Amino acid sequence: MSEPSNLKHIDRAQLAGLVEALAGAGTAVIAPALRHDARGTVGYRTVTTMADVVLDKRPDNALKSFFLPPTEPLLHYERQGKDVTLTPVDPSIGPRVVLGALPCDAAGLPIVDRVMDWDYRDEPWFGRRDATTVIALACDKADSACFCTGVGLAPDGASGSDLLLVPAGDGFLVEVYSDKGQALVDLHPAFFGEPRDQEQAQAFRAGLGAALSHADGLDPAAARAWIEGHFIDPAWPALALSCHGCGACAMVCPTCHCFDIVDEQEGVAKGTRRRNQDYCQYGLFTLHGAGHNPRGDQGARIRQRVSHKFAIYPDRFDAILCTGCGRCSRACAAGIDMFEVVERLAGLQADIDEETPTGGDL
Amino acid sequence: MNALRDLARQLLEAGEVKVVIGYEDSRRGVRPAFVSDPADVDRLIFDARCVHNLATYLNPRRGHVKRLGRAAVVVKGCDARAVAGLLREQQIAREDFVLIGVRCGGVFDTPDATGPLDAASIAPRCHGCTVREPSLPEHVVGDLPPEPPVGRDLDAEVARLMAMPAAERLAFWNRELAKCVRCYACRQVCPLCVCERCIVDKTQPRWIEPSAHTRGNLAWHLTRAQHLAGRCSGCSECERACPEGIPIHLLNHFLAGVVRDAFDHVVGDDPDAPAPVGAFRKDDAEEFIV
Amino acid sequence: MNLYHPHLMRVTERIDETVDTVTLRLAFQDPAVAEAFEFRAGQFAEYSVFGEGECTFCIASAPTRLPLIECSFKKVGKVTTALSRLEVGDTMGFRGPYGNHFPVDAWKGRSLVFIAGGIGLAPVRCVIDNCLDRRDEFGDVTIVYGARSVSDLVYKGELEAWAARADVRLVKTVDPGGETQDWDGQVGFVPTVLGDAAPTSDNAVAIVCGPPIMIKFTLPVLDKLGFSQDQVYTTLENRMKCGLGKCGRCNIGRVYVCKDGPVFTAAQVAELPADM
Repeated sequence: MSEPSNLKHIDRAQLAGLVEALAGAGTAVIAPALRHDARGTVGYRTVTTMADVVLDKRPDNALKSFFLPPTEPLLHYERQGKDVTLTPVDPSIGPRVVLGALPCDAAGLPIVDRVMDWDYRDEPWFGRRDATTVIALACDKADSACFCTGVGLAPDGASGSDLLLVPAGDGFLVEVYSDKGQALVDLHPAFFGEPRDQEQAQAFRAGLGAALSHADGLDPAAARAWIEGHFIDPAWPALALSCHGCGACAMVCPTCHCFDIVDEQEGVAKGTRRRNQDYCQYGLFTLHGAGHNPRGDQGARIRQRVSHKFAIYPDRFDAILCTGCGRCSRACAAGIDMFEVVERLAGLQADIDEETPTGGDL
Repeated sequence: MNALRDLARQLLEAGEVKVVIGYEDSRRGVRPAFVSDPADVDRLIFDARCVHNLATYLNPRRGHVKRLGRAAVVVKGCDARAVAGLLREQQIAREDFVLIGVRCGGVFDTPDATGPLDAASIAPRCHGCTVREPSLPEHVVGDLPPEPPVGRDLDAEVARLMAMPAAERLAFWNRELAKCVRCYACRQVCPLCVCERCIVDKTQPRWIEPSAHTRGNLAWHLTRAQHLAGRCSGCSECERACPEGIPIHLLNHFLAGVVRDAFDHVVGDDPDAPAPVGAFRKDDAEEFIV
Repeated sequence: MNLYHPHLMRVTERIDETVDTVTLRLAFQDPAVAEAFEFRAGQFAEYSVFGEGECTFCIASAPTRLPLIECSFKKVGKVTTALSRLEVGDTMGFRGPYGNHFPVDAWKGRSLVFIAGGIGLAPVRCVIDNCLDRRDEFGDVTIVYGARSVSDLVYKGELEAWAARADVRLVKTVDPGGETQDWDGQVGFVPTVLGDAAPTSDNAVAIVCGPPIMIKFTLPVLDKLGFSQDQVYTTLENRMKCGLGKCGRCNIGRVYVCKDGPVFTAAQVAELPADM
């Protein structure tokens, strides 16, 4: 984990003041908040006042959706006779600050950056990334679904964050991790004081590991080795038995980024070409026009999801396409537990390694 | 529980079924279980956390499940209604599976619930339950638990919505459906959503916009509710599966009320009872199908 | 502007190759784009009808014939049906070129054997014409092309042009039962006809494209003729959307067809997991 370049303190009153100042200046503030819906859910949404912000509950939706929205326009077209006029959509957006991001949500962003920058720079994604300052909050909300520590991250990790808040005294220790983060601090000096109560921040951090102890010893490298050696294996259809083939896991995931491009008519001769979140668990995801479907059964599709995250992406981009946030397991109506899946596959590889010693004493 | 396990073991050992689809415990609560080995039947449990409607696994297009062979499915009374629906529409044949009914005293809204089963924690599907002792299954196990606590009243919630002026009601649904990300968990988990090519997947023509804007979401959910009217078994798995917490089952519950009032029909667990769509009665209100 | 913003193209000609296959000839509407556009044989593009969507095909014309752009496709779904209804003068979208290409420069001095079936001739034809436009750089050129029946043959004009060349050996065939009374080519499946034609594998490369069943039976014939798996090239297709490696749809295991392909050697294809 990298070291912060600067330390500050912000108390709760100052934090409220910061939110008001940002919102007042036209900066969109995105934070976990009550969504004022029938079920009283908490999710990331735009807020204008600290009173709406909820920092002691995990947001249900993914922060990723603010960078790769469920649907976004790519361009507009208008037909006149045999001609067509295209109107591009400006990828740059107004400034935004995310306040109170879960570290597992923040960490997903630089992971997805890698594919979004692979030879072709995805301007819609980076337009949002460039415009957004991420303030993460060290997390004490881990439950049995979580396993961030098992994939090399941490509940107080700063990957993907510009600033990290750690509860301390009457507010938070502020750790600065980027120029963008420093710029935010410099722009609002009234709300940031000199660091204090740091031993409380340390005590907070020290207490975070217990809830994640089940993830100690998770071996994603072993899982990767097993996946790479077992394309055809009865483990895949077995895993697919309970899977409903929906996209709930992908939609709430901080790193799932697969998408579709569609044209939608909006009137007789005009419309919008859109990019929509899509998901590989969907039966039609890989269906050819001519009728052939290389991933025609749920076992093949689940294999794609697990191997994309734990084998293919690490192979191509040197990063696990998973932050151990546990949302997929919580969202899954069939009770599929991603941590348990990775643990099981790693265990299968461990069994193989045991049976085939590579040297040393017998 | 022992009766359930003994029965499962008998069915598997006798070769009457190749797999028992039931519930098992896990480190994160109850989940569906597929038991093919008689030695494994001790995995099977039944308690108030067994909220899943396992009838959905009888959908013939679930290839991996179908390939396991003839199945016995553990069903609560509400789940049996869904099975009856699949039989009524001839999606499955009665001789192709075995039903193991369980006597039920209500279930939690989530499979990982701890604490008491009370008004706050009981699933909305349990309200007004009349099928605590399922009648469709050929086997029924378990003692009849006490009456479930009275929890969320879907009739009252629908009535509250219907009491709103139309503009306010539309604002309610726009606010809720703005959250929809088109994951189609509602459709995939539903035992009665069995169309080989769902209307939202059709492209020639594109009946429903696939994009997750409020307009498209409204079109999708209203269409789906219409397609389930008179067929929905009321299990509200759709609502449990929704990762965004949208109360979509209220749409189905409302239409169930419309069907009840207009056609004097409620979806029950008798597969021979005809449904409003697909059956004609001499005392039908209309003279012709149109 | 973002990377999904297509170029506008004008349909300049429309050819009905068969009852369900169409070739469209396109020109860039922006002269500056027409001037600057480059691609290599084997690359593909995303073609679109505004209001219907995008579709992936190879660029079927040779880079030596720019600024002409051609695509050939079979009517199978929403976008291809809309494309097949376009008329001369209509506007289309074009995004590309994407993917890798046939290593034509590396083939200098070698003999070339092109084998194609049905609409599979489209991605091969661009590299055939590319090589014929540089004919003196290569040794023998053999083209083996077949279809189910005479009416299923595509690029009939091109076939005549190739047949007329003294420096090209064209062997055309139709499946047994697919011949007409005045058919002057072979009758037999492509792999069989290839075996009979027996082009030399000495200092040669083979380029194969066609329906999976044809490829399946052609590869052993090439092997018997002495072609190593590194001497055989093919072009794969998979369902695509973005065409540039981000939408997560076209991968076969770790291989992204849109980035690592669509051109592969038979050796590379042999290593792919069975996600096809």
